[in-house]
Amino acid sequence: MIQRFLDPSILASISGLDLVAKTVVDGFVAGMHRSPDFGFSQEFAEYRMYVPGDDLRHVDWNVFARTERAYLKRYRGETNTQLTIILDASIGMAFGKKIRKFDYARYLAASLAYMASKQRDAVGLLVFDEEVVDYTHASSRQGQLFRVLNTINKAEPRGGTNFVKPFHHVQEYLRRRGLYVVISDFYGDPDTTLKAIAPLRGQGSEVVLFQIFDPEEMKPSFHGPVILIDMESGEEMEVTPEYARDEYPARRDAHVEAMRSGARGFGMEHALLVTDQPLDAALREYLAVRKGRL
Amino acid sequence: MGFFAPWFLAGLAAIGLPVWLHLLQQHRVDPVKFPSLQFFEKRTQTSVRQRRLKYRVLLALRILMFLLLALLFAQPFIRRQISAGTETRHVILAIDRSFSMRAENRLADAKTQALAEVDRLRPNATAQVVTLGGGAQLVTQATRDKAELRSAIASIQPGSSRSAFAEIARTARVISEARKLPVDVHLFSDFQRSSMPSSFQELGLPAGVSMISHRVGGEKTPNFAVENVSAPTAIADGKTARLTATIRGFSTEETTRNVALALNGKILQTKPLRIPAGGRVTVEFIGLDASYGWNRGEVRLEGGDALSDDNAMRFAVERADPRKVLFVHEPGRTRSALYFRSALESAAEGLFALEPVAVSQVSGIDPSKYALVVLSDVGSVPQGFETKLHDYVKAGGGVWIAAGATSASRGAVPFTGAKIGETVYAARSAERFYSASKLDLSHPSVGRANRWEGVQFYQASVVDPGKASVVASLSNGSPLLIESREGRGRILTFASGLENVSNDFPLHTSFVPFVEQTARHLAGLESRSSTVAVDSLLELQSGGMENASAIEVLDPQGKRMLDLNAASSAQTLRVNEEGFYEINRQNNRRELVAVNADRAESALEPMPGESIELWSRTGDGAPVAAGTAESVEQRKPVSLWWWVALLLLIATLAESLVAARRLEPEAAS
Repeated sequence: MIQRFLDPSILASISGLDLVAKTVVDGFVAGMHRSPDFGFSQEFAEYRMYVPGDDLRHVDWNVFARTERAYLKRYRGETNTQLTIILDASIGMAFGKKIRKFDYARYLAASLAYMASKQRDAVGLLVFDEEVVDYTHASSRQGQLFRVLNTINKAEPRGGTNFVKPFHHVQEYLRRRGLYVVISDFYGDPDTTLKAIAPLRGQGSEVVLFQIFDPEEMKPSFHGPVILIDMESGEEMEVTPEYARDEYPARRDAHVEAMRSGARGFGMEHALLVTDQPLDAALREYLAVRKGRL
Repeated sequence: MGFFAPWFLAGLAAIGLPVWLHLLQQHRVDPVKFPSLQFFEKRTQTSVRQRRLKYRVLLALRILMFLLLALLFAQPFIRRQISAGTETRHVILAIDRSFSMRAENRLADAKTQALAEVDRLRPNATAQVVTLGGGAQLVTQATRDKAELRSAIASIQPGSSRSAFAEIARTARVISEARKLPVDVHLFSDFQRSSMPSSFQELGLPAGVSMISHRVGGEKTPNFAVENVSAPTAIADGKTARLTATIRGFSTEETTRNVALALNGKILQTKPLRIPAGGRVTVEFIGLDASYGWNRGEVRLEGGDALSDDNAMRFAVERADPRKVLFVHEPGRTRSALYFRSALESAAEGLFALEPVAVSQVSGIDPSKYALVVLSDVGSVPQGFETKLHDYVKAGGGVWIAAGATSASRGAVPFTGAKIGETVYAARSAERFYSASKLDLSHPSVGRANRWEGVQFYQASVVDPGKASVVASLSNGSPLLIESREGRGRILTFASGLENVSNDFPLHTSFVPFVEQTARHLAGLESRSSTVAVDSLLELQSGGMENASAIEVLDPQGKRMLDLNAASSAQTLRVNEEGFYEINRQNNRRELVAVNADRAESALEPMPGESIELWSRTGDGAPVAAGTAESVEQRKPVSLWWWVALLLLIATLAESLVAARRLEPEAAS
């Protein structure tokens, strides 16, 4: 029953992206037998001197009464990290038979943002295609989640894919150490793509690559020769069902494997997501990476 | 292989439809958007291979369906080689059984040769027997049964009819067209020259028909024949009766023969006669000691020859009391009766007896006792007599009305009531008179009257003919002789008088045959012919179907020739046998008709050999020449329609199965 709410095709029928994220995350959390260590427990972590600007609600007044010094009590869950979601909005992401890859990516991004927000992590968002389309600076301020969700919501796939140019700009925006989640189909040369993303890893950040494919991309169902149109370049190509059946999977798998091994080589995590799969696999991957960072 | 309707092969163009569907339509695919073509390669070679054909079996079946459909309508056939057991040529065994074949042993010889020909028939040949004489008659249908053919030939009896070779050519043409096979006509005949048609073209045989002649009889066979007998049909006094007969020799030497006159089997007179070589001579007999009623007479040439059956000729003669003619005239006007009696008695050899009666005395007279009633220029007749006269005419009687000045003064023709418009007069002195014109020479009243030349009419009534037929008219156009019918009888109106006042007709010799022939015509004696040739038609009903009555006809053997239905409906009867035919009409009226063979059959001279050979070759111009004939005759078209239809059904079922199997998954996807 719970799994059912993580089904992308059901999520597609939910109108609000925030509700989608809540449904996914709550369902995911409730389904776990043991509560994950993701931070909003009351486990004490450390005290920190008060500095002007800190929220007075977090001052430990007991300590202040004894010492007359204001300390802020910090819990383990508040040892936050910074999550930056990098969402591919190229036109190729608009592909999908039942659910568009981009919608799946949006659900994933929203769910991650929601989950991070619950953990009081700072959440940021960067939408790109050939250029940086939109950017929301990572923050844990109140209302950040809705800003991020709004940015996700208004993003629409358009334009081609170019990792080199936008990620060059990304490095200008993202200088802080944190957790970066890149959601894309990663079409293109794996080596070039990974080289463009790898600098994020240079500041000690963790990078997770979610590669999203539609089931049709996994197993094309051509019953006869078809003319395929590249959604990004507009190029036409006549393809036979024999090729789609025999050679295409091998080349696709080779590409995925190249991405996986390349990412691992750069210290990045790579996960392949198919849009007919529930989102919990992605969330689980995220939590695993985050836990490693704490 | 051929086609009965080859123009339907144009439908083969429809084969292009499945080809187009499979090659072009099947290949037409809508472009599909895909995120990236990074993992694809262009494989043109594969695509071309796909372009060739997608569903080859399905396409083949569909092409086959259209092919078979076109063939089905074109109706293909093959010419199958006929095996040894099938027919190749049709044989007609034509045997002449005409009167001339009675000469010598001609018919027996012909039958012997025909039987020999039956023995020579190939086992696979069909044959049929045809007789010639009075037309060609099929004795058997086409058969391979030789026993049946032999039996049919053996049963052929000599006939009395005349042969006509054009008939066998016509029959061969019909059979050839019906059987669509080459036909061999074996003609067994004496090939009489007299049996040839007037035009040699009529002997022409159609293409594919060959004629093989089997001639019987000698080249020149001398033969005598009684060619003609001229005897009165009816006589009142046998002592004055006169009979002439013509004897003719064909290819004969001059000789003297006795000619006998026999009546009812009894020889009355015998005369020696010198017959010139190859010529004819006439002999006359005076006096026929005939008994009352019908007598069967015969003129017989004594001595035998090649054809003895034509040495006698039959005739029939009736002896009866003179037939009474009621001559009604105005009281005191006997001039017309005088002229009429003179003419009638001089010509009719006592056949008629005139009874002049004044119109005032006819009331008690029964007209049915008279052969003819003449109303000579009377104003009117008593009502009672007129009624009886109508009944008399309806029963077959004849009335002759002379509408002279007296009738004209009443403004109407007596008895018929026909309107008389005016009376035309011409003066004798100024030689102003009317003459007869527009004569219908086919009418017996004027046929032998020399066109009434020189007859002058001074007074005539202008009678309205109404629906009656005008036989003769005056030069001014008014009707002169009008004939009408009432019931089974006839009414003849003469628009002038029968005396020498209103015209000078009684003074002319043509008046005698006019009166005699008209009297015979109205008395019903004119139509009777007591001597006719074989194959002639006897007139049985002359008044049309509405007046038909039962007539009994007995053939020479005394057997009835007509059944009950035919006895009351038959208009004519064909006589095909020599002898005496007895006709019993209504009211016990009996007639005897002597039927003799056509004397053209007595000329036994055959056709020249060149003519026979020429005739045999008329069918040789046909495409069925010797070599070709074999190849054509042994190949018979056999329709393949049912086979094509069966194949079409199988192909349709197979197409349905294959299409369902191949296309259903695709449609589902």
